[in-house]
Amino acid sequence: MTFTGAIGALCMFPLSALISASVALRVHPNVLTFVGVLINILAAWALALGRFTLAGTIMIVANIFDFIDGKVAEQLELGSAFGGFWDSVMDRFSDISLFIGLIYLYAQLGRTDYVMITALAMMFSVLTSYTRARAESLIVKCKVGFMERPERIVLFMIGAFTNRMAAVLLVIGVLSILTVADRIIYTWRELNHGQAATLT
Amino acid sequence: MKMSRALTWPLVILWNALFWTYDRATWQYDLMVIAILAFVWLTPPTWLGDPTASGEGLVGWVLTLIN
Repeated sequence: MTFTGAIGALCMFPLSALISASVALRVHPNVLTFVGVLINILAAWALALGRFTLAGTIMIVANIFDFIDGKVAEQLELGSAFGGFWDSVMDRFSDISLFIGLIYLYAQLGRTDYVMITALAMMFSVLTSYTRARAESLIVKCKVGFMERPERIVLFMIGAFTNRMAAVLLVIGVLSILTVADRIIYTWRELNHGQAATLT
Repeated sequence: MKMSRALTWPLVILWNALFWTYDRATWQYDLMVIAILAFVWLTPPTWLGDPTASGEGLVGWVLTLIN
C-alpha cells in the first residue's frame, strides 16, 4: 500500500460510522450535498476574514458531507442522474466560494497580485471540471491531469492549517493550467487519432 | 545508442510529469505529493510575497542558521 493509500484507508474508519448513521436515518443524499455547500460557504467567510485555522476546520466538516453523499446514495439505492448533476453543480459552488473568500481577503489587504493569482487559479479550477465534462460528451473518458477536486480541497486545508495559502494557490494555479492543457491535448488526440498521448 | 537513451529519459520523465495519466495511490502520485508538500512547506513565504504567512518556513530557518 502506498503512503497516500494508507491515509485514505485510515480516514475511512470514522467516515464509515457517519455513512451508517445517515443510512439509518434515511437522510437524502441531495440534502447532504446541499448542507456541505452551506458549510463550505461558512469556510469561505472564515477565509475572507483571514481566520485560516477556523476555515480549515469548517472545510473538513463540509467535505465530510461532500464525501459521504455518494456512499449514502449507493447504500439507500437513491443514486440518480439528477443526483450526479446536482453534486457536480454544488461542487462548483463550493469551490468558487472558497476562492471568492480569498479574493476578498487579498483585496482587503491591498494585494492585487494575489487577487489575480487567486482569480486565475479559480478560472482554471472551473475549467478543469468543464474540460472533462465537455470532453466526455465526445469521448469515453478524459481523466488525465493531476489537479482534480480532491487534490484541490486537501491543498486548501493544508494551506489553511499551516498558514501557507500563497504557496498553495500557486500550486493549484500552475497544476490546474497543466490539467486543462492535458485534457485538451488528450481529447484532441483521441478525436483525431483514437489514442492517448503517452510516452513510455 | 546508450547516450541517446540517457538523454531521452529526463525528457520522458518530464513529459510524464506534465502530461499526468497516473492514478491515485501509485508511487508516482506519492512522489508528486511529496514534491508539492516540499514546495508548500519549505519555500520561505517571503520569497513568494505571501500576504498572510508568518515565520520564515523551514528553508528560511536553515538559511538564517547558516548565515
